[in-house]
Amino acid sequence: MKIVVCVKQVPDMESKFVVVDNKKIDEAQIAFKMNDFDEFAVEAALQIKEKMGGEVIIVSAGPERVVKDIRQAFAMGADWGIHIKDPEIDAGDSTVIASAIHKAIEKIGDADLVLTGVMSEDNQFTLTGVMLSHLMDIPHGTNIVKLEVADEKSITVNRELEGGLNEVIEMSLPAVLSIQSGLNQPRYPTLPGIMKAKKKRLDVMTAADLGLSEVGAAGSKTEFIKMFVPVSEHKAEIIEGDAKTAAAALVNKLKNEAKVI
Amino acid sequence: MGKILVIAEHRDGKLSDGTKELCKVAKEMAEMSGNTAAAAVFSADDAIAKEVSKYIPEVLSGVDAKLAQYTADGYSQAAKSVIEAGDVAGVVISHGYDGVDFAAQVAMSIGAGIVSGINKVEFSDGKFVFTRNIYNGKLQEQRSVKTDKFVVTVEKGAWDKEAAGSEGTITSVDVAVGDVRTTVKEVIETTKGAVDISQAKLIVAGGRGTKDAEKYQATVVALAQKLKGEYGASRAVVDAGWTDHARQIGQSGKTVAPDLYIGLGLSGAIQHVAGMKGAKCIVAVNKDPEAPIFNIATYGIVGDLFEVVPAMIEALDS
Repeated sequence: MKIVVCVKQVPDMESKFVVVDNKKIDEAQIAFKMNDFDEFAVEAALQIKEKMGGEVIIVSAGPERVVKDIRQAFAMGADWGIHIKDPEIDAGDSTVIASAIHKAIEKIGDADLVLTGVMSEDNQFTLTGVMLSHLMDIPHGTNIVKLEVADEKSITVNRELEGGLNEVIEMSLPAVLSIQSGLNQPRYPTLPGIMKAKKKRLDVMTAADLGLSEVGAAGSKTEFIKMFVPVSEHKAEIIEGDAKTAAAALVNKLKNEAKVI
Repeated sequence: MGKILVIAEHRDGKLSDGTKELCKVAKEMAEMSGNTAAAAVFSADDAIAKEVSKYIPEVLSGVDAKLAQYTADGYSQAAKSVIEAGDVAGVVISHGYDGVDFAAQVAMSIGAGIVSGINKVEFSDGKFVFTRNIYNGKLQEQRSVKTDKFVVTVEKGAWDKEAAGSEGTITSVDVAVGDVRTTVKEVIETTKGAVDISQAKLIVAGGRGTKDAEKYQATVVALAQKLKGEYGASRAVVDAGWTDHARQIGQSGKTVAPDLYIGLGLSGAIQHVAGMKGAKCIVAVNKDPEAPIFNIATYGIVGDLFEVVPAMIEALDS
Protein backbone atom coordinates (compact mmCIF):
# COMPACT_ATOMS: atom_id res chain seq x y z
CA MET A 1 0.00 0.00 0.00
CA LYS A 2 1.20 3.44 -0.90
CA ILE A 3 -0.26 5.84 1.65
CA VAL A 4 0.03 9.62 1.43
CA VAL A 5 -0.58 11.64 4.60
CA CYS A 6 -1.21 15.39 4.38
CA VAL A 7 0.31 17.12 7.37
CA LYS A 8 -0.06 20.75 8.37
CA GLN A 9 1.94 22.73 10.86
CA VAL A 10 -0.27 24.93 13.07
CA PRO A 11 0.20 27.20 16.09
CA ASP A 12 -0.10 25.65 19.51
CA MET A 13 -3.57 26.85 20.46
CA GLU A 14 -2.35 27.83 23.94
CA SER A 15 -0.04 30.42 22.37
CA LYS A 16 -0.70 34.11 22.80
CA PHE A 17 -2.51 35.34 19.69
CA VAL A 18 -1.84 38.90 18.63
CA VAL A 19 -3.41 40.13 15.40
CA VAL A 20 -1.30 42.47 13.25
CA ASP A 21 -3.15 45.02 11.06
CA ASN A 22 -6.26 42.79 11.00
CA LYS A 23 -4.35 40.66 8.50
CA LYS A 24 -2.28 38.00 10.24
CA ILE A 25 -1.10 36.76 13.60
CA ASP A 26 2.22 37.81 15.08
CA GLU A 27 4.30 34.65 14.62
CA ALA A 28 6.99 35.83 17.02
CA GLN A 29 4.71 34.87 19.91
CA ILE A 30 3.67 31.51 18.48
CA ALA A 31 4.99 28.00 19.09
CA PHE A 32 4.30 25.71 16.11
CA LYS A 33 3.43 22.01 16.17
CA MET A 34 1.84 19.34 13.99
CA ASN A 35 -1.95 19.68 13.65
CA ASP A 36 -3.44 17.29 16.24
CA PHE A 37 -5.73 15.52 13.76
CA ASP A 38 -2.79 14.91 11.39
CA GLU A 39 -0.91 13.03 14.12
CA PHE A 40 -3.78 10.54 14.24
CA ALA A 41 -3.63 10.31 10.42
CA VAL A 42 0.13 9.59 10.45
CA GLU A 43 -0.37 6.89 13.10
CA ALA A 44 -3.23 5.32 11.11
CA ALA A 45 -1.01 5.20 8.01
CA LEU A 46 1.87 3.63 9.92
CA GLN A 47 -0.42 0.94 11.34
CA ILE A 48 -1.69 0.05 7.85
CA LYS A 49 1.89 -0.11 6.58
CA GLU A 50 2.86 -2.42 9.46
CA LYS A 51 0.00 -4.74 8.59
CA MET A 52 0.08 -4.64 4.79
CA GLY A 53 3.56 -3.44 3.88
CA GLY A 54 4.20 -0.49 1.57
CA GLU A 55 5.29 3.07 2.23
CA VAL A 56 4.05 6.20 3.96
CA ILE A 57 4.71 9.53 2.24
CA ILE A 58 4.19 12.91 3.89
CA VAL A 59 3.01 15.97 1.96
CA SER A 60 3.07 19.33 3.70
CA ALA A 61 2.77 22.92 2.49
CA GLY A 62 4.26 25.93 4.22
CA PRO A 63 7.43 27.93 4.84
CA GLU A 64 10.79 26.54 6.02
CA ARG A 65 9.53 26.07 9.61
CA VAL A 66 7.23 23.19 8.57
CA VAL A 67 10.27 20.94 7.96
CA LYS A 68 10.37 20.38 11.74
CA ASP A 69 6.99 18.65 11.68
CA ILE A 70 7.61 16.75 8.45
CA ARG A 71 10.72 15.33 10.19
CA GLN A 72 8.52 14.61 13.21
CA ALA A 73 6.33 12.40 10.99
CA PHE A 74 9.54 10.81 9.59
CA ALA A 75 10.67 10.11 13.16
CA MET A 76 7.34 8.39 13.86
CA GLY A 77 8.11 6.10 10.90
CA ALA A 78 7.01 7.75 7.64
CA ASP A 79 9.36 6.97 4.74
CA TRP A 80 9.80 10.17 2.74
CA GLY A 81 8.00 13.35 1.83
CA ILE A 82 7.29 16.37 -0.32
CA HIS A 83 7.57 19.87 1.08
CA ILE A 84 5.45 22.27 -0.99
CA LYS A 85 7.34 25.48 -0.41
CA ASP A 86 5.94 28.48 -2.21
CA PRO A 87 4.62 31.68 -0.60
CA GLU A 88 2.15 32.09 -3.49
CA ILE A 89 0.60 28.72 -2.64
CA ASP A 90 0.47 29.63 1.06
CA ALA A 91 -1.29 32.86 0.08
CA GLY A 92 -4.10 30.93 -1.61
CA ASP A 93 -7.33 29.59 -0.15
CA SER A 94 -8.39 25.95 0.28
CA THR A 95 -8.84 25.51 -3.48
CA VAL A 96 -5.21 26.47 -4.10
CA ILE A 97 -3.86 24.27 -1.28
CA ALA A 98 -5.96 21.28 -2.38
CA SER A 99 -4.80 21.76 -5.99
CA ALA A 100 -1.15 21.92 -4.93
CA ILE A 101 -1.46 18.78 -2.79
CA HIS A 102 -3.27 17.06 -5.68
CA LYS A 103 -0.34 17.83 -8.00
CA ALA A 104 2.14 16.57 -5.41
CA ILE A 105 0.18 13.32 -5.07
CA GLU A 106 0.27 12.96 -8.87
CA LYS A 107 4.06 13.35 -8.73
CA ILE A 108 4.21 10.58 -6.11
CA GLY A 109 2.02 8.42 -8.34
CA ASP A 110 -0.19 5.39 -7.66
CA ALA A 111 -1.36 6.34 -4.17
CA ASP A 112 -3.74 3.72 -2.74
CA LEU A 113 -4.89 5.85 0.15
CA VAL A 114 -4.69 9.53 1.06
CA LEU A 115 -5.20 10.56 4.68
CA THR A 116 -5.74 14.06 6.06
CA GLY A 117 -6.76 15.32 9.47
CA VAL A 118 -10.47 16.20 9.59
CA MET A 119 -9.53 19.88 9.88
CA SER A 120 -6.63 22.15 10.70
CA GLU A 121 -6.80 23.78 14.10
CA ASP A 122 -5.84 27.17 12.67
CA ASN A 123 -8.15 27.77 9.68
CA GLN A 124 -10.78 25.18 10.69
CA PHE A 125 -11.97 24.92 7.09
CA THR A 126 -12.70 21.15 7.10
CA LEU A 127 -12.45 21.25 3.28
CA THR A 128 -9.10 20.00 1.98
CA GLY A 129 -9.79 16.24 2.14
CA VAL A 130 -13.10 16.43 0.29
CA MET A 131 -11.66 18.84 -2.30
CA LEU A 132 -8.75 16.44 -2.88
CA SER A 133 -11.10 13.51 -3.47
CA HIS A 134 -12.99 15.60 -6.02
CA LEU A 135 -9.80 16.59 -7.84
CA MET A 136 -8.56 12.99 -7.82
CA ASP A 137 -12.03 11.71 -8.80
CA ILE A 138 -12.01 9.04 -6.08
CA PRO A 139 -14.41 8.36 -3.13
CA HIS A 140 -13.91 9.83 0.32
CA GLY A 141 -15.01 9.58 3.93
CA THR A 142 -14.82 12.28 6.60
CA ASN A 143 -14.65 12.26 10.41
CA ILE A 144 -13.26 8.72 10.33
CA VAL A 145 -12.99 7.14 13.79
CA LYS A 146 -12.19 3.56 12.73
CA LEU A 147 -10.71 2.02 9.63
CA GLU A 148 -10.05 -1.50 8.45
CA VAL A 149 -8.15 -2.34 5.31
CA ALA A 150 -8.87 -5.93 4.34
CA ASP A 151 -7.04 -5.93 1.01
CA GLU A 152 -5.69 -3.49 -1.54
CA LYS A 153 -9.04 -3.12 -3.25
CA SER A 154 -11.41 -1.75 -0.63
CA ILE A 155 -11.70 -0.25 2.83
CA THR A 156 -14.34 -0.27 5.59
CA VAL A 157 -14.51 2.79 7.83
CA ASN A 158 -16.63 4.23 10.62
CA ARG A 159 -17.79 7.78 9.96
CA GLU A 160 -18.66 9.65 13.13
CA LEU A 161 -22.20 11.05 13.46
CA GLU A 162 -23.98 13.06 16.16
CA GLY A 163 -24.68 11.68 19.61
CA GLY A 164 -22.33 8.69 19.67
CA LEU A 165 -23.53 7.15 16.39
CA ASN A 166 -21.17 5.75 13.76
CA GLU A 167 -21.99 5.03 10.13
CA VAL A 168 -20.10 2.01 8.81
CA ILE A 169 -19.27 2.55 5.14
CA GLU A 170 -17.35 0.66 2.52
CA MET A 171 -15.58 2.08 -0.51
CA SER A 172 -13.11 0.99 -3.14
CA LEU A 173 -9.50 2.14 -3.16
CA PRO A 174 -7.93 4.53 -3.90
CA ALA A 175 -9.82 6.85 -1.55
CA VAL A 176 -9.32 9.94 0.60
CA LEU A 177 -10.14 9.74 4.31
CA SER A 178 -10.18 12.64 6.73
CA ILE A 179 -9.28 11.39 10.16
CA GLN A 180 -10.97 12.42 13.41
CA SER A 181 -9.09 12.37 16.70
CA GLY A 182 -9.31 9.36 19.02
CA LEU A 183 -8.94 6.81 16.22
CA ASN A 184 -5.68 5.55 17.76
CA GLN A 185 -2.95 6.65 20.17
CA PRO A 186 -0.25 8.37 18.08
CA ARG A 187 3.20 6.99 18.89
CA TYR A 188 6.07 9.06 20.20
CA PRO A 189 9.18 9.06 18.03
CA THR A 190 12.00 6.89 19.38
CA LEU A 191 15.60 8.12 19.55
CA PRO A 192 16.69 5.85 16.64
CA GLY A 193 13.61 7.12 14.79
CA ILE A 194 14.70 10.71 15.30
CA MET A 195 18.22 9.90 14.09
CA LYS A 196 16.91 8.16 10.94
CA ALA A 197 14.46 10.99 10.23
CA LYS A 198 17.30 13.43 9.59
CA LYS A 199 18.48 11.41 6.59
CA LYS A 200 15.11 10.63 5.00
CA ARG A 201 14.31 12.00 1.54
CA LEU A 202 12.44 15.29 1.46
CA ASP A 203 11.71 16.80 -1.97
CA VAL A 204 11.03 20.52 -2.07
CA MET A 205 8.59 21.73 -4.72
CA THR A 206 7.28 25.12 -5.84
CA ALA A 207 4.14 25.89 -7.85
CA ALA A 208 6.29 25.81 -11.00
CA ASP A 209 7.72 22.38 -10.09
CA LEU A 210 4.18 21.12 -9.56
CA GLY A 211 2.93 22.62 -12.83
CA LEU A 212 0.43 24.78 -10.99
CA SER A 213 -0.24 28.07 -12.78
CA GLU A 214 -3.07 29.61 -10.76
CA VAL A 215 -1.89 30.28 -7.23
CA GLY A 216 -2.31 33.02 -4.62
CA ALA A 217 -5.30 35.29 -5.12
CA ALA A 218 -5.64 34.28 -8.80
CA GLY A 219 -6.31 30.65 -7.95
CA SER A 220 -8.52 31.38 -4.96
CA LYS A 221 -12.29 31.28 -5.12
CA THR A 222 -12.71 33.11 -1.81
CA GLU A 223 -11.29 36.36 -0.57
CA PHE A 224 -9.95 36.93 2.92
CA ILE A 225 -11.12 40.31 4.24
CA LYS A 226 -9.82 40.58 7.79
CA MET A 227 -9.22 38.80 11.10
CA PHE A 228 -9.89 40.06 14.59
CA VAL A 229 -10.41 39.13 18.22
CA PRO A 230 -14.12 38.37 18.65
CA VAL A 231 -16.09 40.67 20.90
CA SER A 232 -18.39 38.68 23.13
CA GLU A 233 -21.71 40.18 24.17
CA HIS A 234 -21.56 38.12 27.32
CA LYS A 235 -18.70 37.83 29.78
CA ALA A 236 -18.64 35.62 32.86
CA GLU A 237 -18.66 37.29 36.25
CA ILE A 238 -15.03 36.69 37.14
CA ILE A 239 -14.52 35.89 40.80
CA GLU A 240 -11.25 37.44 41.92
CA GLY A 241 -8.84 36.54 44.69
CA ASP A 242 -6.47 33.68 45.49
CA ALA A 243 -7.70 30.12 44.97
CA LYS A 244 -9.05 29.78 48.50
CA THR A 245 -10.90 33.13 48.54
CA ALA A 246 -12.31 32.67 45.02
CA ALA A 247 -13.42 29.09 45.68
CA ALA A 248 -15.25 30.10 48.88
CA ALA A 249 -16.92 33.05 47.13
CA LEU A 250 -17.97 30.79 44.22
CA VAL A 251 -19.50 28.18 46.54
CA ASN A 252 -21.37 30.98 48.33
CA LYS A 253 -22.73 32.34 45.03
CA LEU A 254 -23.82 28.89 43.84
CA LYS A 255 -25.66 28.34 47.14
CA ASN A 256 -27.21 31.76 47.73
CA GLU A 257 -27.31 33.63 44.40
CA ALA A 258 -27.81 30.99 41.68
CA LYS A 259 -29.31 28.54 44.21
CA VAL A 260 -28.07 25.51 42.28
CA ILE A 261 -26.40 23.57 45.11
CA MET B 1 -33.01 37.58 -8.11
CA GLY B 2 -32.00 34.06 -7.32
CA LYS B 3 -32.59 31.43 -4.72
CA ILE B 4 -30.69 31.11 -1.48
CA LEU B 5 -30.95 27.35 -1.40
CA VAL B 6 -30.91 25.30 1.80
CA ILE B 7 -29.96 21.63 1.45
CA ALA B 8 -32.05 19.88 4.10
CA GLU B 9 -30.43 17.38 6.45
CA HIS B 10 -32.39 14.41 7.78
CA ARG B 11 -31.87 10.92 9.14
CA ASP B 12 -34.31 8.10 9.86
CA GLY B 13 -37.28 10.19 8.75
CA LYS B 14 -36.43 13.02 11.12
CA LEU B 15 -35.51 16.53 10.01
CA SER B 16 -32.44 17.90 11.82
CA ASP B 17 -32.59 20.99 14.04
CA GLY B 18 -29.70 22.31 11.97
CA THR B 19 -32.00 22.47 8.93
CA LYS B 20 -34.44 24.69 10.82
CA GLU B 21 -31.51 26.99 11.58
CA LEU B 22 -30.57 26.97 7.88
CA CYS B 23 -34.11 28.10 6.99
CA LYS B 24 -33.64 31.07 9.33
CA VAL B 25 -30.27 31.93 7.75
CA ALA B 26 -31.59 31.61 4.20
CA LYS B 27 -34.55 33.90 4.91
CA GLU B 28 -32.23 36.44 6.55
CA MET B 29 -29.83 36.32 3.58
CA ALA B 30 -32.68 36.51 1.06
CA GLU B 31 -34.09 39.58 2.76
CA MET B 32 -30.80 41.49 2.96
CA SER B 33 -29.88 40.74 -0.65
CA GLY B 34 -33.22 40.83 -2.47
CA ASN B 35 -33.19 37.11 -3.23
CA THR B 36 -35.70 34.41 -2.28
CA ALA B 37 -35.32 31.58 0.24
CA ALA B 38 -35.86 27.99 -0.84
CA ALA B 39 -34.84 24.51 0.27
CA ALA B 40 -33.94 21.33 -1.58
CA VAL B 41 -34.85 18.04 0.04
CA PHE B 42 -33.25 14.80 -1.17
CA SER B 43 -34.98 11.60 -0.15
CA ALA B 44 -36.64 8.42 -1.37
CA ASP B 45 -40.10 10.01 -0.88
CA ASP B 46 -41.52 13.49 -0.20
CA ALA B 47 -42.42 13.14 3.52
CA ILE B 48 -39.48 15.29 4.65
CA ALA B 49 -40.19 17.86 1.92
CA LYS B 50 -43.64 18.40 3.48
CA GLU B 51 -42.04 18.90 6.87
CA VAL B 52 -39.45 21.37 5.51
CA SER B 53 -42.15 23.43 3.77
CA LYS B 54 -43.37 24.55 7.20
CA TYR B 55 -40.13 26.46 7.65
CA ILE B 56 -39.43 27.98 4.24
CA PRO B 57 -41.78 29.23 1.47
CA GLU B 58 -40.46 27.11 -1.42
CA VAL B 59 -39.33 23.50 -1.35
CA LEU B 60 -37.76 21.59 -4.22
CA SER B 61 -38.20 17.87 -3.70
CA GLY B 62 -35.71 15.56 -5.36
CA VAL B 63 -36.85 11.96 -5.03
CA ASP B 64 -34.70 8.99 -6.00
CA ALA B 65 -34.29 5.50 -4.52
CA LYS B 66 -30.54 6.21 -4.31
CA LEU B 67 -31.30 9.09 -1.92
CA ALA B 68 -32.98 6.89 0.71
CA GLN B 69 -29.86 7.28 2.80
CA TYR B 70 -27.34 10.09 2.89
CA THR B 71 -24.19 9.57 0.81
CA ALA B 72 -21.74 12.26 -0.27
CA ASP B 73 -21.98 11.22 -3.92
CA GLY B 74 -25.79 11.04 -3.88
CA TYR B 75 -26.21 14.43 -2.23
CA SER B 76 -23.60 16.30 -4.22
CA GLN B 77 -24.87 15.00 -7.57
CA ALA B 78 -28.48 15.79 -6.64
CA ALA B 79 -27.44 19.26 -5.44
CA LYS B 80 -25.53 19.90 -8.66
CA SER B 81 -28.53 19.05 -10.84
CA VAL B 82 -30.88 21.27 -8.80
CA ILE B 83 -28.43 24.18 -8.81
CA GLU B 84 -27.85 23.94 -12.56
CA ALA B 85 -31.57 23.68 -13.33
CA GLY B 86 -32.75 26.72 -11.39
CA ASP B 87 -31.47 30.19 -10.77
CA VAL B 88 -29.61 29.60 -7.56
CA ALA B 89 -27.56 32.43 -6.05
CA GLY B 90 -25.99 30.31 -3.36
CA VAL B 91 -26.23 27.15 -1.30
CA VAL B 92 -26.55 26.90 2.47
CA ILE B 93 -25.55 23.64 4.17
CA SER B 94 -25.28 22.74 7.87
CA HIS B 95 -21.73 22.46 9.25
CA GLY B 96 -22.59 19.08 10.75
CA TYR B 97 -21.27 15.58 10.02
CA ASP B 98 -23.13 15.20 6.71
CA GLY B 99 -22.61 18.81 5.67
CA VAL B 100 -18.82 18.77 5.97
CA ASP B 101 -18.86 15.44 4.12
CA PHE B 102 -20.42 16.77 0.91
CA ALA B 103 -20.43 20.62 0.87
CA ALA B 104 -16.94 20.94 -0.64
CA GLN B 105 -17.87 18.37 -3.28
CA VAL B 106 -20.88 20.51 -4.27
CA ALA B 107 -18.72 23.65 -4.42
CA MET B 108 -16.06 21.97 -6.55
CA SER B 109 -18.60 20.41 -8.92
CA ILE B 110 -20.24 23.78 -9.68
CA GLY B 111 -16.96 25.73 -9.56
CA ALA B 112 -18.08 27.91 -6.65
CA GLY B 113 -16.15 29.34 -3.73
CA ILE B 114 -16.97 27.84 -0.35
CA VAL B 115 -16.81 29.40 3.12
CA SER B 116 -17.26 26.90 5.94
CA GLY B 117 -18.55 27.21 9.50
CA ILE B 118 -20.04 30.69 9.17
CA ASN B 119 -21.66 32.24 12.25
CA LYS B 120 -22.62 35.67 10.94
CA VAL B 121 -23.48 37.16 7.57
CA GLU B 122 -23.68 40.72 6.28
CA PHE B 123 -24.44 42.11 2.84
CA SER B 124 -22.35 45.04 1.63
CA ASP B 125 -21.46 46.42 -1.82
CA GLY B 126 -23.53 43.73 -3.50
CA LYS B 127 -21.88 40.76 -1.87
CA PHE B 128 -22.16 38.63 1.22
CA VAL B 129 -19.50 38.95 3.89
CA PHE B 130 -19.24 35.85 6.10
CA THR B 131 -17.77 35.70 9.60
CA ARG B 132 -16.30 32.45 10.95
CA ASN B 133 -14.18 31.19 13.81
CA ILE B 134 -10.48 30.46 13.36
CA TYR B 135 -7.76 29.34 15.79
CA ASN B 136 -10.15 27.34 17.94
CA GLY B 137 -12.48 30.31 18.33
CA LYS B 138 -9.79 32.59 19.74
CA LEU B 139 -10.02 34.72 16.60
CA GLN B 140 -12.53 35.27 13.82
CA GLU B 141 -12.15 36.13 10.16
CA GLN B 142 -14.33 37.64 7.47
CA ARG B 143 -14.33 36.12 4.02
CA SER B 144 -16.35 36.49 0.85
CA VAL B 145 -16.53 34.46 -2.34
CA LYS B 146 -15.29 35.63 -5.74
CA THR B 147 -17.45 33.34 -7.87
CA ASP B 148 -21.01 33.99 -9.13
CA LYS B 149 -22.49 31.37 -6.85
CA PHE B 150 -21.42 30.55 -3.31
CA VAL B 151 -21.57 27.59 -0.97
CA VAL B 152 -21.51 28.08 2.79
CA THR B 153 -21.72 25.71 5.73
CA VAL B 154 -23.35 27.18 8.81
CA GLU B 155 -22.06 26.68 12.35
CA LYS B 156 -24.62 24.76 14.42
CA GLY B 157 -26.45 26.86 16.98
CA ALA B 158 -25.21 30.18 15.58
CA TRP B 159 -28.78 31.01 14.48
CA ASP B 160 -32.04 30.20 16.23
CA LYS B 161 -34.34 27.60 14.75
CA GLU B 162 -36.99 28.96 12.40
CA ALA B 163 -40.48 28.49 13.87
CA ALA B 164 -42.91 26.20 12.04
CA GLY B 165 -45.68 27.85 10.01
CA SER B 166 -48.18 26.51 7.52
CA GLU B 167 -47.00 24.30 4.67
CA GLY B 168 -45.55 26.13 1.66
CA THR B 169 -45.25 25.03 -1.95
CA ILE B 170 -43.47 21.84 -2.91
CA THR B 171 -42.17 21.34 -6.44
CA SER B 172 -40.79 18.05 -7.71
CA VAL B 173 -37.40 18.37 -9.37
CA ASP B 174 -35.39 15.90 -11.40
CA VAL B 175 -32.23 14.77 -9.74
CA ALA B 176 -29.60 13.01 -11.76
CA VAL B 177 -27.91 10.60 -9.38
CA GLY B 178 -25.43 8.32 -11.09
CA ASP B 179 -22.68 6.28 -9.51
CA VAL B 180 -22.58 6.25 -5.69
CA ARG B 181 -19.11 5.06 -4.70
CA THR B 182 -19.69 4.44 -0.98
CA THR B 183 -21.94 1.75 0.51
CA VAL B 184 -23.54 2.29 3.90
CA LYS B 185 -23.38 -1.02 5.78
CA GLU B 186 -25.05 0.00 9.05
CA VAL B 187 -25.35 2.71 11.68
CA ILE B 188 -24.14 1.66 15.13
CA GLU B 189 -24.50 3.15 18.59
CA THR B 190 -21.07 3.34 20.21
CA THR B 191 -22.23 4.06 23.75
CA LYS B 192 -25.00 1.47 24.04
CA GLY B 193 -25.62 0.19 27.57
CA ALA B 194 -23.22 2.72 29.10
CA VAL B 195 -24.00 5.44 31.67
CA ASP B 196 -26.38 8.17 30.42
CA ILE B 197 -25.47 11.62 31.73
CA SER B 198 -27.91 13.47 29.45
CA GLN B 199 -30.56 13.92 32.18
CA ALA B 200 -28.18 14.82 35.04
CA LYS B 201 -29.04 17.97 37.04
CA LEU B 202 -25.45 18.69 37.98
CA ILE B 203 -22.39 17.94 35.88
CA VAL B 204 -18.68 18.56 36.48
CA ALA B 205 -16.76 18.25 33.22
CA GLY B 206 -13.01 18.18 32.61
CA GLY B 207 -10.91 19.17 29.64
CA ARG B 208 -7.31 18.77 28.53
CA GLY B 209 -6.26 21.06 31.41
CA THR B 210 -6.95 18.28 33.92
CA LYS B 211 -3.58 16.87 32.73
CA ASP B 212 -3.89 13.07 33.16
CA ALA B 213 -6.23 10.22 34.14
CA GLU B 214 -5.26 10.33 37.81
CA LYS B 215 -5.66 14.10 38.11
CA TYR B 216 -8.97 13.96 36.21
CA GLN B 217 -10.20 11.52 38.91
CA ALA B 218 -8.83 13.65 41.74
CA THR B 219 -10.47 16.86 40.50
CA VAL B 220 -13.44 16.31 38.15
CA VAL B 221 -14.71 13.03 39.57
CA ALA B 222 -14.05 14.06 43.19
CA LEU B 223 -15.92 17.35 42.85
CA ALA B 224 -18.83 15.66 41.04
CA GLN B 225 -19.12 13.12 43.86
CA LYS B 226 -18.92 15.83 46.50
CA LEU B 227 -21.81 17.66 44.77
CA LYS B 228 -23.72 14.39 44.19
CA GLY B 229 -23.68 14.99 40.43
CA GLU B 230 -22.33 13.31 37.33
CA TYR B 231 -18.97 13.81 35.67
CA GLY B 232 -18.30 14.42 32.01
CA ALA B 233 -15.47 15.29 29.65
CA SER B 234 -14.36 17.04 26.49
CA ARG B 235 -13.30 15.08 23.44
CA ALA B 236 -9.57 15.39 24.24
CA VAL B 237 -10.06 13.66 27.61
CA VAL B 238 -12.00 10.78 26.03
CA ASP B 239 -9.47 10.45 23.19
CA ALA B 240 -6.70 10.18 25.78
CA GLY B 241 -8.65 7.41 27.52
CA TRP B 242 -9.03 9.18 30.91
CA THR B 243 -12.76 8.36 30.92
CA ASP B 244 -15.41 6.58 28.82
CA HIS B 245 -16.85 7.79 25.53
CA ALA B 246 -20.34 7.76 27.12
CA ARG B 247 -19.24 10.72 29.26
CA GLN B 248 -18.20 12.87 26.30
CA ILE B 249 -20.21 16.08 26.03
CA GLY B 250 -20.56 17.85 22.69
CA GLN B 251 -21.42 17.40 19.06
CA SER B 252 -20.15 13.83 18.83
CA GLY B 253 -21.20 12.94 22.38
CA LYS B 254 -24.04 13.76 24.73
CA THR B 255 -26.15 16.91 24.80
CA VAL B 256 -26.77 17.95 28.40
CA ALA B 257 -28.78 20.72 30.06
CA PRO B 258 -28.12 20.53 33.81
CA ASP B 259 -29.02 23.21 36.36
CA LEU B 260 -25.31 23.51 37.14
CA TYR B 261 -22.40 22.73 34.82
CA ILE B 262 -18.85 23.20 36.08
CA GLY B 263 -16.13 23.11 33.42
CA LEU B 264 -12.59 22.49 34.66
CA GLY B 265 -9.58 23.07 32.41
CA LEU B 266 -11.89 23.25 29.40
CA SER B 267 -11.31 25.83 26.67
CA GLY B 268 -14.90 25.73 25.42
CA ALA B 269 -14.36 24.62 21.81
CA ILE B 270 -17.48 25.08 19.71
CA GLN B 271 -18.02 21.31 19.39
CA HIS B 272 -18.13 20.97 23.18
CA VAL B 273 -20.25 24.07 23.75
CA ALA B 274 -22.84 22.67 21.29
CA GLY B 275 -23.52 19.96 23.86
CA MET B 276 -23.77 22.01 27.06
CA LYS B 277 -24.87 25.56 26.29
CA GLY B 278 -28.39 24.71 27.52
CA ALA B 279 -27.11 24.51 31.13
CA LYS B 280 -28.81 27.02 33.42
CA CYS B 281 -25.72 28.01 35.39
CA ILE B 282 -22.25 27.55 33.90
CA VAL B 283 -19.05 27.79 35.95
CA ALA B 284 -15.65 27.87 34.28
CA VAL B 285 -12.26 27.38 35.93
CA ASN B 286 -9.38 27.91 33.52
CA LYS B 287 -5.93 29.43 33.72
CA ASP B 288 -6.29 31.10 30.30
CA PRO B 289 -8.35 34.31 30.70
CA GLU B 290 -9.00 34.27 26.93
CA ALA B 291 -10.53 30.77 26.87
CA PRO B 292 -13.82 31.01 24.91
CA ILE B 293 -15.68 29.24 27.75
CA PHE B 294 -15.66 32.51 29.72
CA ASN B 295 -17.88 33.98 26.99
CA ILE B 296 -20.73 31.65 27.91
CA ALA B 297 -20.09 31.08 31.62
CA THR B 298 -22.15 32.64 34.42
CA TYR B 299 -19.25 32.59 36.89
CA GLY B 300 -15.57 32.23 36.14
CA ILE B 301 -12.36 31.76 38.05
CA VAL B 302 -9.14 32.48 36.20
CA GLY B 303 -6.72 30.22 38.03
CA ASP B 304 -5.13 26.84 38.57
CA LEU B 305 -7.84 24.20 38.85
CA PHE B 306 -5.54 22.04 40.99
CA GLU B 307 -5.68 24.77 43.66
CA VAL B 308 -9.27 25.89 43.08
CA VAL B 309 -10.95 22.46 43.18
CA PRO B 310 -9.52 21.33 46.57
CA ALA B 311 -10.47 24.77 47.95
CA MET B 312 -14.02 24.34 46.61
CA ILE B 313 -14.30 20.90 48.23
CA GLU B 314 -13.04 22.42 51.47
CA ALA B 315 -15.56 25.28 51.25
CA LEU B 316 -18.36 22.75 50.63
CA ASP B 317 -17.30 20.82 53.74
CA SER B 318 -17.49 23.82 56.03
